[in-house]
Amino acid sequence: MNLIIVGCGRVGAELCYHLFKSGHQIVVVDINKESFNRLNPDFRGRTLEGEGLAEGVLERAGIREAHGLAAVTNSDTLNAVVAHAARTIYNVSNVVARNYDPNLRAVIEAFGLQTVGSTSWGAQRVEELLTNPSQRMVYSAGNGEVEIYEVLIPEQWNGRTLGELLEPLKQCYPVALSRAGRASLPEVGTELRTDDLLNVSSTFAGIGALTARLSNKAEA
Amino acid sequence: MFVLIAGGGRTGARLANLLINQNYRVRLVENRRGLLGYLHQELPTEVIYEGNPVDPSVLEAAGIREAHALAAVASDDSTNLAICFLGKTMFDVPRTISRVNNPNNAWLFNENFHVDVALNSADVFAHLIQEEMSLGDMMTIFKIRRGNYSVIEEKVPVGAKAIGVELKDMNLAEHCVIAAIIRNGVMTLPRGDSTLQAEDEIIAVASPEGAKKLADLLAFPVYPTRNGKKKEE
Repeated sequence: MNLIIVGCGRVGAELCYHLFKSGHQIVVVDINKESFNRLNPDFRGRTLEGEGLAEGVLERAGIREAHGLAAVTNSDTLNAVVAHAARTIYNVSNVVARNYDPNLRAVIEAFGLQTVGSTSWGAQRVEELLTNPSQRMVYSAGNGEVEIYEVLIPEQWNGRTLGELLEPLKQCYPVALSRAGRASLPEVGTELRTDDLLNVSSTFAGIGALTARLSNKAEA
Repeated sequence: MFVLIAGGGRTGARLANLLINQNYRVRLVENRRGLLGYLHQELPTEVIYEGNPVDPSVLEAAGIREAHALAAVASDDSTNLAICFLGKTMFDVPRTISRVNNPNNAWLFNENFHVDVALNSADVFAHLIQEEMSLGDMMTIFKIRRGNYSVIEEKVPVGAKAIGVELKDMNLAEHCVIAAIIRNGVMTLPRGDSTLQAEDEIIAVASPEGAKKLADLLAFPVYPTRNGKKKEE
C-alpha cells in the first residue's frame, strides 16, 4: 500500500520502519528535516520536508494515490486537521490520528477520526503490570477500554465450573480455555482444572474483579 | 450580542477591547500562563476565561452555546481550524471567523472546517503595501467581504484624465462607485453629472479591476521621480 505518515518523531519513525518492513511504500512528512535522523538506517522510503497543513505538501506526498494516512505529530490539533483534510478533501478512507495529550482526546473524537492514544494506553498497561502482575493482556481493543487477558486457574478453583467463577462478574466474558496446549470454546458448565489458561474479554474493572475472585481463598 | 474569542495574543486582546467599547458581551479564552498576566492588565477580569480554547469542555464552560459569533485568533493555524470546526459541529455557533497565521495554510480555511470568514493578515497587509506602491496616492481604507471589494481614497492630481469628465461617462459602473467627493474640506455625494477637479479627494467602493481603472483615470500625467520632480517625457 502507499501510505503517508505525517510526523517523524519517535512514534512516526518507528511506524515508518514497521510499515516499510512489511513491504509498504512510505512517504514521511516532517517540518524539521533533522527529524528524519530518527529513521532506522535500513529504512527505504521518501522523506518530505514540509508542514502537513501547507498547501501542496500533501499532494507532493502523493495523497491522490495514497491508500492511507497517519498523522502522528505531537500536536493533537495538527493531527486532527491533517487527517480530516485527507479524508474530506482527498477522499482517503483509511486515516488515523494520534492522540498525544489525553486531555484533548475529545477534539480528535469530534472529527470522528480513528485515534490511538499512546500516552493513556501506555499508562494503563503500566498500571496493570504494577498492580496485577499475574494476568497477561494478549489483545487490546480500541484504546484499551476492552482487552483480552490470559489468567491461570489456581488450585482452589480445581473442579468448579466456569459459570460459578464468572457469573457474579459484570464486565468479564469467557473467550477460550486452554488445557495442555489445546484451546476450546468454554461454556457455563465447563469444569475448570488447576493450571488451565483462561482467556477473558474484559474491562479494566472486570479483570480486577476476576483476579480478586481467583486469589480469594476465603471465598473459594 | 455575545462574542467568544479563542486566543488571547495581541489580536485577541485588541479585539476584546474594541468590542467591549461597543458594548458587546465578550469572553476571551486563553491558557498560556505568560499571556494571562498581560491580559489581566488589558481587560476586565470577568472577560477572561482561563483554559485551553481547543478543549470542547472549556469552550462549553466559557459559554459557547450562547455565543453569536466565535473568533479564532490563536497563533497556531491547526488550533484555529479545530476551534471553528468544534464551534459549528458541536455547539452550533452561527458565525465563525478565523485568523490565518501562515498564508500557505489559507487553503484549508473554508467550509471543510466550518470557517465562515478567514482573515489572512499577512496576505491583506502585503496587498495593502503592494497597492500603496503601485497605485500612486490611492489608499485602501478598508476591505469588504474577504478582500474582494475595498473602500479607497484618492486625491485627484493636476492634469489627471478624469478632470472635467462627468462621472456617468467614466465607464466605471460595473466595478467601481465614487461615493463621495471632498472639495475644500466639504464632502458632497456626487451624481452622474458631477465632475472632478484637481485637488479633490474622492472616496470610492471598488473591486480590484475597478481600482485599477480608477487609478488609471486619476493617474499623474507623468509619474514622479524619486526626488519629487516630474520626469520629462
